[in-house]
Amino acid sequence: MDLAYQILVKPFSDMVSAPDFLMQVLWDGLVSGVLYALIALGFVLIFKSSRIFNFAQGIMVVFAALTLVGFYQAGVPAWLAVLLTLAVMFVLAVAIERVVLRPLVNQPDIILFMATIGITYFLVGFGEFVFGGENKVMITEQLHIPTGTFEFKPFGGFVSISQTDLTAVIGAGILVTVLLVFLSRTKIGRAIRALGDDHQAALSVGISLSMIWVIVWFIAGIIALATGIVWGARAGVSFALEVIAYKALPVLMLGGLESVLGAIVGGLAIGIFEKLFEIYWGQPLLGGNTETWFAFVFALIVLLFRPQGMFGEKIIERV
Amino acid sequence: MRLFGKFALVGAAMAVSTALAIPASLAEDSLYLPNLAYRTGPFAATGIPLMDGQRDYIAMLNARDGGLNGVKLNYDECETGYNTEKGVECYEKTKDKALVTQPWSTGITLQVLPKSNVDKIPILAPGYGFSPMAEGKIFQWAFNPPASYWDGASMILKYISGGNLDSLKGKKIVLLHLDAPYGKEPIPLFEDMAKKHGFTFLAIPVGVKEMQNQSAQWLQIRREKPDYVLMWGWGAMNAGAASEAVKTHFPMDHFIGIWWSGHDGDMKTVGEGGKGYKSISWSVPVSDAPVMQDIKKYVLDAKVNTIGEGEFDWVFYQRGVLISMFLTEGIKTAQEHFNAKVITPEQLRWGLENLNFDEARIKALGADGMIAPFKTTCADHAGHAGGWILQWDGSKFVKASDLLTADRDAIVPLEQAKAKEYAEANKPWPTNDECKM
Repeated sequence: MDLAYQILVKPFSDMVSAPDFLMQVLWDGLVSGVLYALIALGFVLIFKSSRIFNFAQGIMVVFAALTLVGFYQAGVPAWLAVLLTLAVMFVLAVAIERVVLRPLVNQPDIILFMATIGITYFLVGFGEFVFGGENKVMITEQLHIPTGTFEFKPFGGFVSISQTDLTAVIGAGILVTVLLVFLSRTKIGRAIRALGDDHQAALSVGISLSMIWVIVWFIAGIIALATGIVWGARAGVSFALEVIAYKALPVLMLGGLESVLGAIVGGLAIGIFEKLFEIYWGQPLLGGNTETWFAFVFALIVLLFRPQGMFGEKIIERV
Repeated sequence: MRLFGKFALVGAAMAVSTALAIPASLAEDSLYLPNLAYRTGPFAATGIPLMDGQRDYIAMLNARDGGLNGVKLNYDECETGYNTEKGVECYEKTKDKALVTQPWSTGITLQVLPKSNVDKIPILAPGYGFSPMAEGKIFQWAFNPPASYWDGASMILKYISGGNLDSLKGKKIVLLHLDAPYGKEPIPLFEDMAKKHGFTFLAIPVGVKEMQNQSAQWLQIRREKPDYVLMWGWGAMNAGAASEAVKTHFPMDHFIGIWWSGHDGDMKTVGEGGKGYKSISWSVPVSDAPVMQDIKKYVLDAKVNTIGEGEFDWVFYQRGVLISMFLTEGIKTAQEHFNAKVITPEQLRWGLENLNFDEARIKALGADGMIAPFKTTCADHAGHAGGWILQWDGSKFVKASDLLTADRDAIVPLEQAKAKEYAEANKPWPTNDECKM
């Protein structure tokens, strides 16, 4: 009876009795959700156009952030450092296409997946060789990203909104909108979608596979840089950033590997629900740290009913 | 002739294989000191300055003194990435010629602990590992000088209570810890102290994937309104926690970490916002200490090794130096006792059981002010040196307390009980019955 009260009544009475705290939980959940969605987007874009699950997305985040900070430390002005980092990510995209992907065209998906693991190890070693493994400070202020907090006092309590988090949410929103417009309204965007739908058909109408792969990996590089700036502003830039990529896995399971919208909705849903569950059920009843598994269980439940994810495409293969 | 040729070939092969089989330490008249280091992976940022300090002290001894008593020190790193499985692989790879095992993670320490009884190689885990390893009669091959995690926890409690732990009655203390063996290590002691002194204790775990996004943990802290938050954090978790503490308006001077949560590199990412944050530490950086100046002269200025900008003054770099100093003092003590230049792991064990870092010796080593005096015995493998509270002033850690010591009377019964419990659970566990202390 007491357990039923703890599960069914107390969490909701806590929400009502401290609405300012609930607002803070929801805001923090939203921020986490946006950050998860951002990482998941990198995976989705590459999978959509090439059916490759890009294991290297996490290390690309680290590599992009380290490159940015590295240029700045070398005396390059902040905004120029951003442009140069984008140039490096473009060169990386070209190199991956030429050296890794092109020789593996027509190979099974698992081979391409393994190749991305190889890319990961290369970038870890190369990144450490060039930049070292030390923790570096993200150039948040130099990029004019505000670092203060907005504070509100609703219902006699307080809600604190970090300006860096707010900038991240707005920035991610703009990035996603631009991406959606790019994919749906431009020729290249349609070509990417066509490749995602059917490689052979796309090739038969003259779409260049190598060009699209370079573009897609470059966009994933842009997303990696944005993710690196946002996460790096929270706790510094180091190889620890690589592990955040794992947070995208349940988002992909939930949203579907091919859906941009799925990555966004999945990310937001997981961000908000895992925070609510952790605060109102996990911490009081399960000793906390439920965020390590909640998202996977949540995604698993969704998969029981929709194996292709919430927004994934139902793939029917003729045998 | 053909037969003679075959014999000659076999003989030559045997000679080569015998030569290869001789431990490197004997063959080259050097001592092989492997370090299960982690300069890569999510915890690299904290590992690098520690390993640099260890490496550079050994390099300085080789350059300045030609090693120890004329024997070169062969320092060698095996990369683990702070991964327990890789750590065990490194142990297996190096054990044949190793004089010592430096596991560098509580997880790896727990894995190699039972192996040390079989392989008879001392484990040196300064300031980390399983706290009851201090019980030398049970853990014959493990050493955690100069203080265990439980010593650190006790020193922090003593500091926040002003020396009277009963004054904590009715207060709430949160332990924010990495959800790993290291982070969980002080929980039994805190629970025990909470029962004895009437304060509320709450452990809040942080998963490795949540290190950079601890908003849920800090929301819980905001809801629980603790009087103090103590931290057993590692790597990016430290900076992540400090950023969230600033956001949550938690008073920084009531936020205290263990010695591995007091890293300049982590706090630099928080900068001014982290001002007031504290950490207990058994080491204090003293950049103008003679030993540090010798490292500068013989290693850094001579370009034998290079380190990052500003790293020389960091707490972790200089702690790495002290950690190697424990090892080399153990070697020197054994060399003198056994009248041997190239010593065996068994002899090193004796050396580590007879470390004597008294004030005169610390001064002679050029480390005056960097560490408090301590002494090990066959029964006490930690030495239980004191520590100081260091406080982040926005750009560096500064000493913020007098020397604090652990409440050993409170810790010893728990230490003995847990050591016995471990030995019981891992039967047959050999103990050192020769030790009469």
